[in-house]
Amino acid sequence: MGALPVRSIVRAGLAGSVVSMYVALVGLYSKFADLELVGEQVTLGRVLLLAPATVVAYAMTRPRIVAGERRPFAFGSGVAVGALTGLATGVGVAVAVGVADWFGVERIREVFIAVSEPLIDFMTLGTALPAGLLVLVALSVAGGAIGGFARTAPDEVRKPTSVGVLAVIVLGLLQRIVPIVLVQLGYTADWLYSPVTEGLTWLGGALIFAVGAGANVLWRRAGSSARERVQSRVAEQPAAKLGLVLAILAALLVLPLLLGEVISEVLGTVMIYVLLGLGLNIVVGYAGLLDLGYVAFYAFGAYTLGLLTGGFLNTTTGAAEPALSADISFYVAIWIVAIMAAGVGLLIGAPVLRLRGDYLAIVTLGLGEIVSVMTASKWAQPLIGGPQGLRGVTKAEIFGFNFQDNPQHFYYLALAFVLLALFVSWRLSASRVGRAWNAMREDEQVADAMGISTIRYKLLAFAIGGAIGSVGGALFAVGIGSLTPASFEILVSITALAVVILGGLGSLPGVVVGALVLIGMPGLLREFEEYRLLIYGGALVAIMILRPQGLVPNIRRSRELEEEEASQDAWAKSAAGEAEAVAAVVPGGPLGGEPEDLE
Amino acid sequence: MSEPVHMLELSGVAKHFGGLYALSGLDMYVDEGEIVSVIGPNGAGKSTMFNVVTGLYGPDDGDVRFRGDSIVGLAPNRITRLGISRTFQTVHLFPNMTILENAMVGQHCRSRSGVFGSVLRLPSTRREEERIRSKAKESLAFFGSRLAGYRQDQPAFALSYANRRRLEMARALATDPVLVMLDEPTAGMNPRETLELRDHIVRMRNELGLTVLVIEHDMRVVKGVSDRVMALDYGRKIAEGTYEEVANDPQVIEAYLGTKAAG
Repeated sequence: MGALPVRSIVRAGLAGSVVSMYVALVGLYSKFADLELVGEQVTLGRVLLLAPATVVAYAMTRPRIVAGERRPFAFGSGVAVGALTGLATGVGVAVAVGVADWFGVERIREVFIAVSEPLIDFMTLGTALPAGLLVLVALSVAGGAIGGFARTAPDEVRKPTSVGVLAVIVLGLLQRIVPIVLVQLGYTADWLYSPVTEGLTWLGGALIFAVGAGANVLWRRAGSSARERVQSRVAEQPAAKLGLVLAILAALLVLPLLLGEVISEVLGTVMIYVLLGLGLNIVVGYAGLLDLGYVAFYAFGAYTLGLLTGGFLNTTTGAAEPALSADISFYVAIWIVAIMAAGVGLLIGAPVLRLRGDYLAIVTLGLGEIVSVMTASKWAQPLIGGPQGLRGVTKAEIFGFNFQDNPQHFYYLALAFVLLALFVSWRLSASRVGRAWNAMREDEQVADAMGISTIRYKLLAFAIGGAIGSVGGALFAVGIGSLTPASFEILVSITALAVVILGGLGSLPGVVVGALVLIGMPGLLREFEEYRLLIYGGALVAIMILRPQGLVPNIRRSRELEEEEASQDAWAKSAAGEAEAVAAVVPGGPLGGEPEDLE
Repeated sequence: MSEPVHMLELSGVAKHFGGLYALSGLDMYVDEGEIVSVIGPNGAGKSTMFNVVTGLYGPDDGDVRFRGDSIVGLAPNRITRLGISRTFQTVHLFPNMTILENAMVGQHCRSRSGVFGSVLRLPSTRREEERIRSKAKESLAFFGSRLAGYRQDQPAFALSYANRRRLEMARALATDPVLVMLDEPTAGMNPRETLELRDHIVRMRNELGLTVLVIEHDMRVVKGVSDRVMALDYGRKIAEGTYEEVANDPQVIEAYLGTKAAG
């Protein structure tokens, strides 16, 4: 690199300090100041304190694309630029903290309740102010240097280190779960997780770092040939494949026994969202129809199942019989719900057949809102209970299983339907139907001209997607037992869409991973509950910038994005090359083109 | 029957976009087994005619009949199922599907397995899928080694320009058509590829027994393949006949070169 990119460093630093101040103002620092990850010193709050500088420095030291060529930073200069970015970040924050202190913390507190003396103490590691600002800046410089290191160090250093650090952070965050599992398995957990802080012990942290980094080193050593051998063995030998599937199934079956009730309940919720994600994935990921009103199917499934299995209305004067109801077994009702939801899918699909893209999204958003408003309306009260809701949904008892009162049992019920939905989605994606959806998603008009009835396949996507989503709703109803409109708001649609997008549109493992990250993580870490939406937003922005194809991309989807990038690179290169060539031939500059070539 | 029914017949077809008349009272026909070329300057209405026939646009006036029955108002996918298949002036593939999958989409309208068959993978579905696959490979094989082998599992966007054109034609052939409509198939191809394509067009008729309607600018191709040539200008037919007749027609020369240039 040539001269120091001072302007971009200052700009990145400014961005970092704004992020840091935002995190401070919403109270994340204070909230996590005492959540120990490793020992007593490494708290989640302190990790977060370093994070803004680290992230902007990481972004700052990315390889630049000059005339279509990647030019990465060298290691040393990368760390230096990272540290400088951290310095700029730190100075920005320090100025803000200084001003806040001069202005009076109590006065700011009237508006931003998170601002307090302990917060400033926390940010300066407890050093009194004028000197504390220097501590703050120094921390930020360190954070920036870490960011530069994580980006520009040689691969054989930075990858194992990053994996190790991430492993420590993740296991530190899982402090409520891993010890339980260890104890269930008959081991003691004290050496790994300190009973005092609840976080990892120093020994545990060091061990986990070593294991994470070591695993990465071995994986890299083994090289691509070994990896391919493992993959091809699994892919080619039916016995190996079957064994793998059975092993996964067995693990899924014993999981709730190891994890206990609390975590099984979280997993149950995760699986309801896996179902919603799978259904929505058919509509959005396979058929390419952006549906923002998916909560309609969820609500329909939940209420219909409730009514079919003998649920009764909650009223101010006591329980009442709904206007329309039946009392049949869950195991019959669930299929009726799915079939009826497919019908609702057709009803919702029919009026929006001609709409595309943004228009479709807006109309489905409206339809979803109509359904969720209806669940709360007085008008629908005799039918579904209105604001007071519906109670007494079946517990679906069978063979001694109680799916309502026992979260471990509910897990198995949800698992069964998740596996079924996964199977259906997988079979459909690799079939004539999936091919038709794909063609339609890529180019609707051409698909039509090649003999695919786009009307039929759009309706089919809405119907199947609706049926799967309604099963998610029905299971929710069984698990919770009573329904109120608060559970059926637009947030459900948005969360389901976030699950699908985060995991990767059109990707089945992606839906599972997306639900685990977006529903499982906040569920397991109750501290995060308050910040759930903030985390969703942050995760989606990050994924769109860093990995737009999703966490576990569908192969075709990643091709689309690669294609765009490849063509941009090719264009940038050829444009640069041509400009040079033309400049060399025509002294006057790049004026002579060949218009025939453009046609 | 008093007079033989043409395979495709347009009578008085008009199509306008706002005040612009892309087609104004076009009469034309194509008979079974013919190779008919359509020529004309840019904006003469050639592609609009294709879009009207294949159902992408509805005509404002007139009638389009295929084997005697009107096909006006049918959805494009219905018209494809009747046996009319086409390519586009600018290549329109499904770029992220593989080459084989692109061709397999062509067979969609000749197959029928639905959701239940696909989920349960019934024997009939598997047999049908096998048939779709082999039929698609057959269509790709029409272009020799160009679209064969390892290429079939590559995404379509990885193809060269000429191969994209070939794949689009293979996809059209995979719909089992009786009439193929090719919109400027040689656009952007080099002279050697153009010659190769000329042979392909003739082979479509001679080997596959198809009727071909082709819009083409390259006069060597037009001369080489056409049983009959039609010239359009301002949305009307201005000349029709053998290549020599049309090429020497004063109206055609005027349409291409302008009035003054001739004098």
